[in-house]
Amino acid sequence: MDFVTLGGNLLGTIPLGDIVLYITPLSLFLFIVLLVFTLLIAISKTETQVEATLMKLSNTNVKVGKKEFKQRRFLSVICGIASAGAMITGDLFNFTLFMALIGILNIGIVSAVKQTTVLNSAYQYGLIAMMCSLPLFGGASIILASTGTLSLAVLSQMPATPMVVFGAVLMLLGILGESGVAPFFASKAEMFRTPGSPFIVIIHLSSLFIIVRAVEILLLVLW
Amino acid sequence: MADILINVFIAFLAGSLLLGLHRKIMARVQKRPGPPIIQHLLHSLKFFFKETAFPKTVSMPFYIGIVFILAAIWVVGVIVGPVAHGSLLILFGVYAVYKIVEHNSGSSSGSPYGKASCVRAVLSAATELPLFAAIVLVYLKTGSMNIGDIISYQATNGPLIFSIPLAAIMFFLLLLSKSPYSPFGITKDKALVSGFETEHFGFLRGFIMFSESISWYVMLWVFLTIFFGPLSAVGYLIGMIVLTFITGFINSTTPILNPNHSVMTQITMGAVCFIGTVVMILI
Repeated sequence: MDFVTLGGNLLGTIPLGDIVLYITPLSLFLFIVLLVFTLLIAISKTETQVEATLMKLSNTNVKVGKKEFKQRRFLSVICGIASAGAMITGDLFNFTLFMALIGILNIGIVSAVKQTTVLNSAYQYGLIAMMCSLPLFGGASIILASTGTLSLAVLSQMPATPMVVFGAVLMLLGILGESGVAPFFASKAEMFRTPGSPFIVIIHLSSLFIIVRAVEILLLVLW
Repeated sequence: MADILINVFIAFLAGSLLLGLHRKIMARVQKRPGPPIIQHLLHSLKFFFKETAFPKTVSMPFYIGIVFILAAIWVVGVIVGPVAHGSLLILFGVYAVYKIVEHNSGSSSGSPYGKASCVRAVLSAATELPLFAAIVLVYLKTGSMNIGDIISYQATNGPLIFSIPLAAIMFFLLLLSKSPYSPFGITKDKALVSGFETEHFGFLRGFIMFSESISWYVMLWVFLTIFFGPLSAVGYLIGMIVLTFITGFINSTTPILNPNHSVMTQITMGAVCFIGTVVMILI
């Protein structure tokens, strides 16, 4: 299957040997949206979360401390850039690397908070992400071993052999776990209870966009 | 450029009136007179001229930026769909950003209602699975993600609603979940006041209502286009009114589900329809 039937007309390519970066309306749209959100994250302050206090009539204001703010903003910006990279890469292995990096950064963004429920959720998501890194990289390795290339431009022109299908299924499993979408989102949802709206949004955004890109890649490889 | 502006205007106007009709239908089913059909449009315009207040707790400039992103993203939806007949995957990306905005406009306000709505928006990501599965099934059947190619396919092979009806049901689930007062609308449950919209006032709410109108129009347009083939303007109009009537009837007679039931219902129906459609394609 070619790029045109999936993401629209080819707008341009950046040939780097066997690996060709390509830009279609789809990848351009995803790339620009991620950069816009990354810019907003970089310049935004955090909100003050108002919570009810148990056994009292007053509210509790939960804020993000200065040190925590700097650390989380840095990780969020890196996560935005990594996600943007995953949107335009034309190489299967680069995609898996970006995917693993996003998984690690997602945990890092909430690891500085002090709410136990949020940390528990991050821990559970971390376990799933760690386990799913094996099928993620394993799937890409199997595709490389059976076809001899990781370039999506070349893979899209090759017929899907049983080993390629097996590798793609493994990759799909890895992507589902690493990005924490259904049925794994239950472990991730609690992470969003922490204050720091601009930072937690990139966790959600990176997961959703990586799935869109993953489907494009898998369809390119399989059909 | 003129084409884009005209289509955005039509999308806003038609979407507003359809949402007004939706409210009217719900009211009539519940034996209430209901507001006039034009009320949603009037509300949207009114909010642009109301005084805007910003709570002290908000995350600036995210709190403001997010509603502009929401409006911009649905204008992109109009360009990719009705104007350019582009890729369905881009429209899925548009929908994904819509989920992000739903998530972030709630959390950026600092309000506990917005925050609860934000966490539910993450859970309600289950709606994306049936949508995604429907898009992939359309691709498997037609061999293309481009709406133009899908229309051409249907012109020669007949509407997809007859060959992959279960995929159409999955897409309809998305329409239902995004319609006002939906049983799956857990992010706007009245227990959360207005959910993620609770702390957005004045022109910010105007932008949200503008985007909601366009999003309703675009989602109906996509559904009709990819399952009912090439339609005339009258065909689209009748189709949109019928779909609005069906969702209005369902929503007025169905209580809102709790988050767990909402998610499990959508995932189960999505899985059943996906497997059923794959079996139908293979047979």
